[in-house]
Amino acid sequence: MVVFSGAALLCALATLSVLGFMIWLSLPVLKSGMLWQILTDPWSPDQGRFGIAAMVVGTLYIAGLSLVISFPVSLGCSFFIQVSSPGLWGRLLKKLVQLMTAIPTVIYGFVGIFLLVPKVRDIFSYGSGMAIVTAAIMLAMLIAPTMILFFTQSYARVPRAYTDAVDALGGTASQRLFYVILPQAWPGILTGVVLAFGRAMGDTLIALMLSGNSVMMPSSLLDSARTLTAHIAMIIAADFDSVEFKTIFICGGILYLMTGLGVFAARLSQQRDRS
Amino acid sequence: MKNRWILVLVAMAVALFSAQTGMAQGLEAFSNAKGVLRISGGTAHIPVMKAAARRVMAANSNLQITIAGGGSGAGIKQVGEGLVDIGNSGRKPSEDEVEKYGLAMYKWAIDGVTAIVNPGNGVKALSSDQLKAIYAGTITSWQTVGGEDRSINIYTRDKASGTRAVFWKKALAKGQISGKAQFVSSNGAMKSAVANDPYAIGYMSVGYIDDSVTPVTLDGVTPSLATVKSGAFKVARGLYSNTKGPYKGLAKAFIDYLLGPEGQAIAAEKGFIPVN
Amino acid sequence: MKAGVQDRILAMFSWGCALVLVSGLAAVLGFLLVRGAPALSRELIFGSVAPLDALLLKRQVFYGIFPAVAGTVCLVVFSIGTALPVGLCAGIWLAEYAPRLLKQIFSLVVDILAGIPSIVVGLFGFSITIFLHHFLNNRVFPCLLISALALAFLVLPYIIKTTQTAMDSLPLALRLTAPSLGASRLENIVHVLVPAALPDLASGVILAIGRCAEDTAVIMLTGVVATAGIPKSIFSSYEALPFYIYYTASEYADASELVKAYGAALVLLLICAGLFGLAHLARVWVAHRARVRT
Repeated sequence: MVVFSGAALLCALATLSVLGFMIWLSLPVLKSGMLWQILTDPWSPDQGRFGIAAMVVGTLYIAGLSLVISFPVSLGCSFFIQVSSPGLWGRLLKKLVQLMTAIPTVIYGFVGIFLLVPKVRDIFSYGSGMAIVTAAIMLAMLIAPTMILFFTQSYARVPRAYTDAVDALGGTASQRLFYVILPQAWPGILTGVVLAFGRAMGDTLIALMLSGNSVMMPSSLLDSARTLTAHIAMIIAADFDSVEFKTIFICGGILYLMTGLGVFAARLSQQRDRS
Repeated sequence: MKNRWILVLVAMAVALFSAQTGMAQGLEAFSNAKGVLRISGGTAHIPVMKAAARRVMAANSNLQITIAGGGSGAGIKQVGEGLVDIGNSGRKPSEDEVEKYGLAMYKWAIDGVTAIVNPGNGVKALSSDQLKAIYAGTITSWQTVGGEDRSINIYTRDKASGTRAVFWKKALAKGQISGKAQFVSSNGAMKSAVANDPYAIGYMSVGYIDDSVTPVTLDGVTPSLATVKSGAFKVARGLYSNTKGPYKGLAKAFIDYLLGPEGQAIAAEKGFIPVN
Repeated sequence: MKAGVQDRILAMFSWGCALVLVSGLAAVLGFLLVRGAPALSRELIFGSVAPLDALLLKRQVFYGIFPAVAGTVCLVVFSIGTALPVGLCAGIWLAEYAPRLLKQIFSLVVDILAGIPSIVVGLFGFSITIFLHHFLNNRVFPCLLISALALAFLVLPYIIKTTQTAMDSLPLALRLTAPSLGASRLENIVHVLVPAALPDLASGVILAIGRCAEDTAVIMLTGVVATAGIPKSIFSSYEALPFYIYYTASEYADASELVKAYGAALVLLLICAGLFGLAHLARVWVAHRARVRT
């Protein structure tokens, strides 16, 4: 018993210590009162400005766009699996989607560089092809399986009684979907979206390889941008004592808090789902 | 991401502070060696490091030599903090750095830094002013300098890069680099980026030049080994390997190897100008 | 809207989305297969060294991806070796012993841990390294051990959740039999419940292995390098397959290196797909056994 609860305690401590370390290591910056500057300034180390505002915006743009691309497709696929083709095709797609969850992110980034970047460059006749939109497309492929599986799970949780009732009344598949399943399952859908957004925000490789990593505040979807995650990866080799280096812990802290909030939000909507 | 963990084996920096006693050494110095040699820092050094490491490790399988990149700044910091045995830099460590970490510098090759464009780009020569304006972001289209009507995609390195420091100081005269510039993390990555993007401009070590990119003729001088050696091409720099305190042990053996005939031959083969 | 029209719109939309997804997947996989298949050969992995020599560590492989594969294998072994006992015990606690309130809180903590971006976990590992390097022992460097521990962090939530789910889904009859015959709670867990949950657990562990093998962000910050050979000890730097792919993609010296990267990407994909297939088989085995039993 002690062994088991000890292990659990260890895990809990580990989770909290990650946050603790982030905060502790950003303390020097927090104490010096530079926090506001760091959150709003542009990034220009030559001029002594270490603001990560552009990175936060970059993260939100890329994750947001990937969600915009992925959500309709995931929704449609979940409809396909659950409602419109529950037979062979639906099962096949479900297996395929499950297989997709095993694909490493570095593969998406790799294919993105050699397949997608030149196409984006040619289609839009602008820029190098490494832009928000490129990263967002690959990211959308990354998060789609998670969302699809989540959605189908929440459809499956709708009580049989309800769906049987629709069938008994002679309702069609689409009526069953729109009037019974969706209204019942929307908390689950919301949870899936929130978790997928968290996943998109936390991904490093795709943004690092495909978004160009420029430090300017992005003004269009074809601009290059840098995410918080890629920023951490790029700055990690800087001087240990410099302000530059310390900003990455602020980045780490922000990411932790954003995904933590996402988990909370997902939890809350799950509670609603159960009740 | 800086490939800080690509330890470049080319640690044979010529000792600037220690007398050159012509310690041209081969692989015999490694015959009884064992342990791990950690190298990191400048990415320009990496091809030479790798080639030398392979030879050394092939001659002695008890030795593990790990090579990381990360840029000159990273190399200096890491060797100063004791995280690696040899820190490579593509720029001479500043006096502050030498004093703070007690560095011993060994230069084993000379290299240049050139602006590069894609071979498909019609523009192959620029003036200093044009280069500065392009990087500052005031010239945004290739058409302004005689090319197609497409926007210029600028590529740059991060602050830890020695290549960047040299380029910024000598070619850009410390001018501004536009915020729109896209970042790559090593010389190799710069080459790949420019080779794959028809409208790119970047800067890179002269030793890395091959068919996949075109060096930009600056103010009438075409960057090449010859012009760097003769001094006609002004944007030149030494390749250094630094140690904390005077070199000893495995680091000494390796740096001496780089300074010796085999090492210098490797440096020449990889496109740099050997010092010996 | 008439039901028929609605149905047709739904059918079109869902088929359309399914096609978009599948064609995207086909593009990615097809591209990799076409470019990578030519690279798949003994040479890709072992360079010019005979496989047996390389495997027995008699000669070093310089031009193949064998060191990267070896590094990944070592990583997986050490990180799963650390995460498995801890995760298993924590999951058992969660499923069997935890009082209701603590269960909810701990569940939330596990969810948070699962949501932490991998780069933050890597950053955490990196900061621990610096911390130890400064305060404890100047010989602590980012290395295999630290990467393995950081990866263990990453996969802990998977193992905990899998254990909890597996234990929770055991049939009531199974739970009650041993205690009714006089076994203690601990004996019940160790001798009856865990063995019964093994296939589900195996499936979860295999997925965790896949996660360890493919992660790049964590190892980038905690010790992976592009050139290191076979890791000499747990305290040395090492290579890894996903990092090799990333590194070669951003800077390849010539076309042949790029082809090797394609091959490596294909190898990684095959490894992950293989692990997934194994996990699937484990689950199928569970279902089969359950059907056979009843």
